[in-house]
Amino acid sequence: MNVIQCHDVTKSYGQNRALDHLSFEIGENKITGLIGRNGAGKTTLLKMIAGYIKPTQGELQVFTRKPFNNLDVSAKTIFIDDNMTFPDSFRLTDILSEVAPFYAAWNSSLADALFNYFSFDPNQAHSNMSKGSKSTFNSIIGIATRCPLTIFDEPTTGMDSAVRKDFYKALLKDYLEHPRTILLSSHLLSELEEILEDILLIDNGSKCLHLPIMELRELAVGIRGNEQALLTFVEGKELIYKEEFAKGSLYVVIKKESIEQEFKHVRQNGLEVLPISPDDLCVYLTGKTGGGIDDVFKRS
Amino acid sequence: MILNTDSMKPIYVQIAEWLEVEILNSNMKEDERIYSQYQLADMFTVNPATAAKGLNLLADENIVYKKRGLGMFVSPNAKQFILTKRRKQILEQMIKELVIEANRLDVSESELIMMIHNFKQDYKEE
Repeated sequence: MNVIQCHDVTKSYGQNRALDHLSFEIGENKITGLIGRNGAGKTTLLKMIAGYIKPTQGELQVFTRKPFNNLDVSAKTIFIDDNMTFPDSFRLTDILSEVAPFYAAWNSSLADALFNYFSFDPNQAHSNMSKGSKSTFNSIIGIATRCPLTIFDEPTTGMDSAVRKDFYKALLKDYLEHPRTILLSSHLLSELEEILEDILLIDNGSKCLHLPIMELRELAVGIRGNEQALLTFVEGKELIYKEEFAKGSLYVVIKKESIEQEFKHVRQNGLEVLPISPDDLCVYLTGKTGGGIDDVFKRS
Repeated sequence: MILNTDSMKPIYVQIAEWLEVEILNSNMKEDERIYSQYQLADMFTVNPATAAKGLNLLADENIVYKKRGLGMFVSPNAKQFILTKRRKQILEQMIKELVIEANRLDVSESELIMMIHNFKQDYKEE
């Protein structure tokens, strides 16, 4: 069953298209990472799925219903980001007890255990917390609600590295016991890729890739070596990325399938094959220009 | 459990190899139940689909076998099979690297064989 069905969805803000004819489906109980550069449309998409905003065009269904203003979808969905606001007079414990009645699967013992583990002060006000503490507290709500559709928009903003690891671990552990559909957005793919099953990469409001993360890892390789030899080797093939890293030496990123035939000969030509991290690959795939920041500093 | 995320080896391969070592060290014996994909996901902090792919790798090589509804179990000849396979694969790969590097450094075949021979001698005397 597909929890999310997005068909040809466009969202415009005036002249600006935040989402541009986007289509994809997300199956039940998968953990999907929504990856994209700044301004790619990640937050717009997530807010639309959570029912906060309406698509301008196209058909979006969550649990087979249009999510906007839909109570049924709202009850099954939680959207966590760092803009969550709670009444100023509420202490942290008040928030936890007030969230409970809204979500059928809320688990207060899990919430309390995480709350104590991260050493929160029950009497503190939400508005006085640091950025990282706020993100951590909001994440506890995200995990403990156990919503059939759990959405985190940049959940680790401001968290220190130890807390980040704990958060992803806690999320995965609870998911293993209580499977649910989880959507996580981030521009730091490297920190969450291990817990993902699928990845949805968007660029300028359009879908760039949607595939199992294991396939993404196998998608491309980097090849480095003498410029002439390398150019001959990749002649006529589509390059994902190309960079001159020393005089006469070149580094290219290329789809594995396009060089499958010749792959054996790479090393005989004195070329080096390098693994490419999914994180780097996503950056190259959504690059605005063929080169990189180095080109900005290059003297003509 | 720490995974080597910089390695060229995919995580599911690393999980399969870790399980193989567990079998080689007799931490898991013949016809014993092997970890489930959910246990492995928890241990390695990876998605259960990744862990399942690691297990399937072992199943494809008949190192483990499936019992419907019960999970996966270590095959009777698993240990011997892993030993033979690793000797072949790991040694062959190392030799490939060695030959490529020797060519790059202009070391002739006879020199290379001599070096291996000398090292073996030294190693024995130690």
